[in-house]
Amino acid sequence: MTESRLTARELTLAYEETTVVEDLDLEVPHGRITVIVGPNACGKSTLLRALGRLLKPRRGSVLLDGRELSRIPTRTIARSIGLLPQTPVAPEAITVADLVARGRQPHQRWWQQWSKEDERAVTDAMERTNVAQLAERGVDELSGGQRQRVWIAMALAQETDLLLLDEPTTYLDISHQVEVLDLVRQLNHERGRTFVAVLHDLNTAARYADHLVAMKAGRIVAQGPPSQIVTADLVREVFGLDSVVVPDPVTASPLVVPGSPWQANGSGGDHAEEAGPGKNAERAGLKKNAAPA
Amino acid sequence: MTTSVAEASTAVRPAGYGLIRRGRGSFLFHRRAAVVAAALVLLTAAMCVTYLCLGETNVPPGEVLDVLAGQPSWAALVVSDLRLPRMALGLLVGAAFGVGGALIQTVARNPLASPDIIGVSQGASALTIGALTFGITSFSVLPYVSVVGGLLAAVLVYLFAWRGGLHAARFVLIGIGIAIALRSIVHLFITKGDYLVAAQAQVWLTGSLNGRGWAEAAPLGWALLAVVPFVVWAARAQRNAGLDDDTATALGVPLQRTRFGLALLGVFLASVATGAAGPVDFVALLAPQIARRMTRTAQIPLLCSALLGAFIVVAADLLARLLFAPVELPVGVLTAAIGAPYLIWLIVRSRTGGRA
Repeated sequence: MTESRLTARELTLAYEETTVVEDLDLEVPHGRITVIVGPNACGKSTLLRALGRLLKPRRGSVLLDGRELSRIPTRTIARSIGLLPQTPVAPEAITVADLVARGRQPHQRWWQQWSKEDERAVTDAMERTNVAQLAERGVDELSGGQRQRVWIAMALAQETDLLLLDEPTTYLDISHQVEVLDLVRQLNHERGRTFVAVLHDLNTAARYADHLVAMKAGRIVAQGPPSQIVTADLVREVFGLDSVVVPDPVTASPLVVPGSPWQANGSGGDHAEEAGPGKNAERAGLKKNAAPA
Repeated sequence: MTTSVAEASTAVRPAGYGLIRRGRGSFLFHRRAAVVAAALVLLTAAMCVTYLCLGETNVPPGEVLDVLAGQPSWAALVVSDLRLPRMALGLLVGAAFGVGGALIQTVARNPLASPDIIGVSQGASALTIGALTFGITSFSVLPYVSVVGGLLAAVLVYLFAWRGGLHAARFVLIGIGIAIALRSIVHLFITKGDYLVAAQAQVWLTGSLNGRGWAEAAPLGWALLAVVPFVVWAARAQRNAGLDDDTATALGVPLQRTRFGLALLGVFLASVATGAAGPVDFVALLAPQIARRMTRTAQIPLLCSALLGAFIVVAADLLARLLFAPVELPVGVLTAAIGAPYLIWLIVRSRTGGRA
């Protein structure tokens, strides 16, 4: 595969006494979309924070172009790696254009507070995320979806080769989720930017990832193209969920369909008892429409 | 849409900012903040003339301007020997409290975290009163004692609040605790101390410009002049203080270093002002918050905080001189009278979920 600018070596991450990620190796493929998935508290966000130097490794290291992140000035890193946290906080009463412009911070000096380059990058970022018409509005008066697009615009205005996104779609409805992830894909294709995103939803991850990393309990269980690694066995191993994996009717990427939902006794509950959840799921997956109405 | 071109061209600059470009250099300034600053300059200048006019002897404005221009005048003694130095001290103290308060509030991300609430002023007071009770009464030494006291209190708050990082809410709560502890130490010194010293201490503790002048104003003026370059740095560095830690770090802000620098500067300014005039309560709390509401900027505007602080102290001291003439109130009594209701309002507002 392609070379990697950002790598983790024998990485152990911990908060206070609790070890969250242990002895993890990862090469972020250059120019691709990498998505990290896993159950809650598996360490995926923690890993992302470490890749973005927000968390110092307990042991091991994160390397950017072969140099340890902890040895590079944070401002220099900010010209190569952008990061959007899960719940960013905006200064009170800030306008959209002002917040997006903050993305230019690592490129500015006190005597260069607004270069033509800044102007171009901010305009471009705002157009791409479709927030240009909100420029003068206050960030705190926006809807969740608009706000998330503004934050993404800020991260884009930073114009880094690598962009790390921590659950960028969490607070969005389905159409805005698609919008954000399509934008990621577009930027990846047109600008060759490398993305690493933590996503909650396995199906979305499988749809958008070039490289999928499945984590459990602080370790990588499997990684590779979604079509090669997403199987019912993997889903059971990582999430402890019985499911059926079928090809997505639109993209042909793997689509994980969980076993049939709980049913009240009397309306098919006896099936579940005799078959057990696994077989029940399999059957439900094969004959989805056969469930009693 | 046909308007997309026009939209794009308005979106290129943070809204509300003016831009100055010279060669490769470029500077942004907040338009509204610039207008507010100009208005405050005029307002403060008018207040200064009024201050010099009014008092036990009223001097007409024309006469005041003559004195200021160096013309011989019957009012020279009153204006330039009595009122002018005191006014100069008021301006400097107000500006120092304004900026000091702004910086500490910014670092702590909390309007309650002004130096007179989180222990800086109390630290300066405690050490000064301590020095007084131990017989150090020279007004040339006391300002330095105050600065040391303020810095020590800040270091104490910092050490207690530090847990591998500085958390804003913890910082404020620990500051309030330390302020209370230091205040009781002040009372201990006063009760144990000599009667005369106690009376002197009491006046100092409310913050007073009475009987002060160039002796206090000059060293304060030099100290403020010396930190101007740092304030210029701070004005830009504090820009991203309103972002959360992760986002600010991702944008390349060396967070701990920036915060440390801003806090140190803020503490220095507040303590040096306390040393010169005592803890003039609530100026450091009020000025930055009002200034920010006037400019509607995303961060506290430093220049406007300085101007507003200067205005508040001079205006309050004018009232302090006039209200019960010939008895003069300490200026701190008046600033407290305005500040305390405002503080209550802030607390009520923060309980209902608003942030300021």
